Order: sequence, then C-alpha cells, then structure tokens
Amino acid sequence: MQDTQATTQATEKNLELMRNFAQSYAKRTGTYFCADLGVTAVVLEGLAKHKDDLGAPLCPCRHYEDKEAEAKATYWNCPCVPMQERHECHCMLFLKDDNPFAGDKQEISFDEIRSETNKY
Amino acid sequence: MAAVQVTDSSFKQDVLESELPVLVDFWAPWCGPCRMVAPVVDEISEQYDGQVKVVKLNTDENPSVASQYGIRSIPTLMIFKGGQRVDMVVGAVPKTTLANTLEKYL
Repeated sequence: MQDTQATTQATEKNLELMRNFAQSYAKRTGTYFCADLGVTAVVLEGLAKHKDDLGAPLCPCRHYEDKEAEAKATYWNCPCVPMQERHECHCMLFLKDDNPFAGDKQEISFDEIRSETNKY
Repeated sequence: MAAVQVTDSSFKQDVLESELPVLVDFWAPWCGPCRMVAPVVDEISEQYDGQVKVVKLNTDENPSVASQYGIRSIPTLMIFKGGQRVDMVVGAVPKTTLANTLEKYL
C-alpha cells in the first residue's frame, strides 16, 4: 500500500519491549503469530508507536475518537480484554492454532520486524 | 487501476457524489490485517474496472469521515451507492467474500 506520507516507526526501546511481550504472551496463551510475519511486524511497530506516543500499547487496528482517552480506559491496550477473555485478536497478532492464518512461530527477531516496516 | 486515496475534504465529491458504486477501504498505517487486505482491494479494483470505483481512506489522517461512519475495527470495507452506505465487511476477508458482497450492488 502506498502511503501519502512517510509512516513513522517507533523507538527501538519500545519495539524491543513489545517484541519481548508478544513472544512470551504467545507462548503463555498457546497462540501463534500469523503465517505472514509481515503482519506481525507491522502490528508490533504500531503497538510500540502507541507506547511511544500515548504511554500504552493501544491496539493499532481500531479507530478511536480520542486515542489518549482510550489508552487511559485500557480496554484496547494490548493484550486487550477480548484477547484476555476469549483469545480474540482481530489484529492477527495472536492467533489460535485452528485459525487458517496461524503460522507455527511464537518468535520474531528485531531485524525481521524492521526489515518489514522499513518498507513503509 | 490502483485505488486512489481519498480524504475528509474529498470524500463528498469522490465517494458520495460518484456515479459508480464505491468501495472504500478504511485503513491505518500500522494495522497488520490492513496490509493483507490491500492487495485484495487492488485486485478488486482491476477486476471491476469501469463498474466500481475503489478508494482508500487513512483513518488516522481523516478522522472526520471515519467517525461519521462509526469505524471501529480496522480494516473496514464499506460500499457506497448513490451517496448512501449500503454494506460493509470488517476485517481481512478473502477476495471471494468481498466480490460476492460487491456483486449485489452492481
């Protein structure tokens, strides 16, 4: 997809924080990353960017009237309430093993993320 | 023909006043499933060239239209005909699902 303007990446610190969180949370919940790790990379970049901007990893696959208010409300901060309660992640970061898009990985390297998100 | 980007200011002219039915892809920059659905939307644009207008709207940069139509989960694909929203599909869906939804309004 062509962006009309440059898309800003997150800080390395918060990207690494979200990467580590996602790896351990996938293992803990028995969920898997998308077979297309590009999806995983983009979502992790989005979570880390929200952590930079809002102080919380607000879900990047929602539209909000007020991002700061939503981050304070915490419902859509990762792992969001639907994920915690029902293992539902519409962002496709954490997929149950019966999901047709699920891959077999619960790990992604920093370089794998950035080699994907550097394209945008 | 690749899908063009529309904005809060061009939405009325490009979508609501369009002669053809319009498929609008509401997306956001760091949304993984949006990246999955983008090539599907481009294929639809080529397949229905001349029958359907296909456009994309960045919800971060164009919050007014996104809010007006109650966009929550992204990606959301919305179909407009004669200035009215007539249908929508939420999430990364297969091309056949999108095509079948679209066919109803041609």
